[in-house]
Amino acid sequence: MKILTEFEAKKVLSKYGITVTQGSIAESEDEASSIASSIGFPVAMKISSPDISHKSDVGGVILNVKKEDVKSAYSDMISRVRKAVPGANIEGVLVQQMAPSGHEVIVGLKKDPQFGHALMFGLGGIFVEVYKDVSFRVTPIDKNSALDMISEIKGYPILKGIRGRKPADIDAVAQVLVSVSEMAQKKNIVELDINPLIVGEKGAVAVDARAMVD
Amino acid sequence: MLDAIFYPASIAVIGASNNEIKWGGRILKNILGDFKGKVYPVNPGETSIQGLDSYSSVLDIPGEVEMALIIVPSKFVMSVVEECGKKGVKGLIVVSAGFSEAGNNELERELVSTVRKYGMRMIGPNTLGIVNEPAGLNASIIGRLPRPGSISFITQSGSLGLALAEWTIDTGIGLCKVISTGNKADIDDVDLIEYLNGDESTGVIAMYVEGIKRGREFIDAVRRVRKPIVAIKTGRSKRGAKAVFSHTGSIAGSDEVYSAAFRQAGILRVDDIEDLFDAALAFSCQPLPAGNNVAILSNGGGASIVAADECERQGLNIVDLSERTREQIKSVIPEFASSSNPIDTAGTVSFKIYNDSIKALHDDPNVDAIVVIYVHTMMSNAMPPAEAVVERKQICVKEKSNKPIIACWMGGAGTEEGVELLKSGCIPNYPVPERAVKALSCLIKHREFLNKVKLGVEPVDKIGRCK
Repeated sequence: MKILTEFEAKKVLSKYGITVTQGSIAESEDEASSIASSIGFPVAMKISSPDISHKSDVGGVILNVKKEDVKSAYSDMISRVRKAVPGANIEGVLVQQMAPSGHEVIVGLKKDPQFGHALMFGLGGIFVEVYKDVSFRVTPIDKNSALDMISEIKGYPILKGIRGRKPADIDAVAQVLVSVSEMAQKKNIVELDINPLIVGEKGAVAVDARAMVD
Repeated sequence: MLDAIFYPASIAVIGASNNEIKWGGRILKNILGDFKGKVYPVNPGETSIQGLDSYSSVLDIPGEVEMALIIVPSKFVMSVVEECGKKGVKGLIVVSAGFSEAGNNELERELVSTVRKYGMRMIGPNTLGIVNEPAGLNASIIGRLPRPGSISFITQSGSLGLALAEWTIDTGIGLCKVISTGNKADIDDVDLIEYLNGDESTGVIAMYVEGIKRGREFIDAVRRVRKPIVAIKTGRSKRGAKAVFSHTGSIAGSDEVYSAAFRQAGILRVDDIEDLFDAALAFSCQPLPAGNNVAILSNGGGASIVAADECERQGLNIVDLSERTREQIKSVIPEFASSSNPIDTAGTVSFKIYNDSIKALHDDPNVDAIVVIYVHTMMSNAMPPAEAVVERKQICVKEKSNKPIIACWMGGAGTEEGVELLKSGCIPNYPVPERAVKALSCLIKHREFLNKVKLGVEPVDKIGRCK
């Protein structure tokens, strides 16, 4: 069993046509600075290590980093994480474009011993942690089932746009669900979280992801 | 192929006994009860068992043996099965325990490979047997043959299944087959669902499930079945392995995945045993409605509100009646009663009130299903409304109507005669409105499955036929 880092997991997602936030791994302050310049400011910086899956718990995430702060953010993060997780294999810092605004949703996959892969959808953040407002399907699924899955959760009206808000791009989310379903059939995924997938008025972007493969 | 087990022409009972307290004695006695085919007791220690010649081996039996029941200690099972194979036996029911359920997985694998080597099929091991009412076959330790009916019950728990089968007899629910699956080493849920789908006497399949083998094949098999399948899946409280790696892993316990798989396959998952048989009963004697528009007729306002609330919970629609329907109903109920849905006759009860109201509701194109409630009081008689329901139902059957009528006769003492009449008239009747509505909601949900999940599946069902 192997854990994919965010960077690796997103590479797989991209291959299946899922939009991810762009970025690269920097192994030095200077590299961080040049990657950030090519992406445009501000950027998000996240520690990249196969030994750390809950990055923010160990001070491994800084958001909205400005041009003049990139280098110091890099070295601060490395030393902070080294202290928090001694001995962790640190590949560097993932320098990434900031997430667009929109609704946070979660798309997940889990291999089930009886039925193959189960696909999960829900609203992200506190909704999934506290209310567990999610729906499930056994894969493979088609677009219509994906749309059903989305409309089944209690929080669906939020995505449809309540109190005058513009509706989220539900079709784009459905497409992500179908792509993940296809991925489940081909890649040997044990567990996968795309959390959050941010859905705006147009399009859905995978902002963070983690995966375990066999 | 499974006909050899459910409709055998001849049966060997290996491990038969004269002692009716022993399993080998009890099962033989049960088989001899109503089974018309040939029965051969096998026991090397006896010459005659329960009035029949006994054989020391299945190989000594002069005639053909289509099915063998094996009730011997587990250490003898392999040699007995080998002999059955040589004899040309086609189906086995292995009651003997001491296999995978006791950790002896290797022994079970050997058993299966021997069974398959001879091209036989096997239920068990560790099964409490099977019952097939249309064949008069009680190859189990259930005390009596069930009443005839179209419900076939697959149970992973032997004792629970047998207790329920006994209970149905007193409750008046008919059963077609009871199958205690045991360890499902050879014949499993997929085989049984496919077999029962083709079985003419089965109209609805009820399942008690602890775990499914071959999950994917199970989903695919069930999708091809149009007969309703109602299931309890136990182990809801047990979360899957608590994974800390992902949110999905921690939320997607096996129970959530079962729920999703059942829904995708078109299996009605119910919460408890009462719901299981309530739904199965409704399926066994009522047609599937076209939609979810429900009309409620009652002589008591309270009961009809309880029913309406349950409709709301189950996502059923209390439909607005047409002007014509309301006029027809108004003409038979008192002026102060309510002719809008739910209809409340304000305590008045008669054959005419119930008959004419049900007819009006049935003829209303907006109505898909009717719940008829009778609340017993000292001032009323439970019989005339029951007679009306039964008569309307007979007309519905004749007209091939697809509008189910579900009854709820409340009140216990004083309603017995009416309840019996409903039972014999093939009307599913429940003692409280919630149960009546829940059972109806299963019919409606199954209709949705047919429209959505089971598209393109040719109908082979016998839903709505009474015995």
